[in-house]
Amino acid sequence: MAETIDETRIIAWVDGELDDAAAARVAGAVAADPALAALAERHRRMKARFAAAFAPLADAPAPERPAAEVVSLAAARKARAAKAAAAPRPAPRRWMAPGAIAASLLVGVLVGHGYVGGGGAGGARDALALPAPTVAALDRQLSGDAGAVRVAMTFRDRDGSLCRGFTASGMASVACRADGGWRLRYAVPATTQGGDYRQAGGDAAQMAFIQSIIAGDPLDRAAETKARADRWGK
Amino acid sequence: MDEFERHLTSLLPRLRRFAHGLARNAADADDLTQAAAERMLKARDQWQPGSNFAAWGYRVMRNLWVDTTRARQRRDRVLVDEEQGLSVGAPGEAETSVELGYLMRAMGRLPDEQREAVALVMIEGLAYAEAAEVLDIPMGTLTSRLVRGRQALMKMLED
Repeated sequence: MAETIDETRIIAWVDGELDDAAAARVAGAVAADPALAALAERHRRMKARFAAAFAPLADAPAPERPAAEVVSLAAARKARAAKAAAAPRPAPRRWMAPGAIAASLLVGVLVGHGYVGGGGAGGARDALALPAPTVAALDRQLSGDAGAVRVAMTFRDRDGSLCRGFTASGMASVACRADGGWRLRYAVPATTQGGDYRQAGGDAAQMAFIQSIIAGDPLDRAAETKARADRWGK
Repeated sequence: MDEFERHLTSLLPRLRRFAHGLARNAADADDLTQAAAERMLKARDQWQPGSNFAAWGYRVMRNLWVDTTRARQRRDRVLVDEEQGLSVGAPGEAETSVELGYLMRAMGRLPDEQREAVALVMIEGLAYAEAAEVLDIPMGTLTSRLVRGRQALMKMLED
């Protein structure tokens, strides 16, 4: 007596959830029934379609220098705690913003790229401090200017702070003003490296991050020039 | 880097993909990924070395998503995403592939409990038993949500 093969069974078969005997029974039923075969094929196609569309998200480059990576996270945490204990000045408010810890995961990658200065995140400096040449470029350059650091856009976040999306050392990054300086809010390895980097565009993940914090539209050339003259709101 | 941090680093890309299966758009998905990484780092003591790290990570992200979704639904009940239809883009999707954005919007029209089942099994490729463990539901419940979700998706995508 053949069991009834319903859609649940077909889907379980497509998902590879059946043991050999059960799978053989479904295969037999599918072979004998064109309607079942068509149903199985539709489910298989849909599964493949989702797999193909979502796969690139999980193919994002995993950091290749695990040793350099989060060594710095623990060290940075310790350094910050020590600093806070020694000199109880207000902790950088930005630090606890969503994303800050994920960004700190990336600090090690930045160290690997020589992006965070020699002392690295374990030094006395804040883990998300930027190297001097990057700071200088963020202070001076307008969006689209050529150089080792390329600024793609300037915008305000929802707290009203000025932020800049830029690429340096192969990292697509976002830095915002805080405590009178630039603080790194986000960084991912840029998908396109070096000279091919699109000046006005940027990395998809970086753009998604900007979309999540931006208030209003990016600054136009005139507003950006004025913001620079105002030293980025001090 | 300790064992925990190694696990987290290698799981992050998969968590990001799972987030895209759950969230309404790419910007929300990246927010969710970061929030989940943050939560996992804070709650690292909850993970037992030797236990299934991926299952724990998926569970953390899923619970976070449930919390934020409920909070949002309370806040802006007026905005009915479902009425946007499949062809309308959402902010933050400019850089997502058209196909991915389309499938994400289809996922977004599923009831939450079907969406999470479909995301774990059909997108993340978890076995039914693993997905049921992540969601803390019986296998039978998982299976029926999965089947209903896939039937609904098929209807949306093939019509």
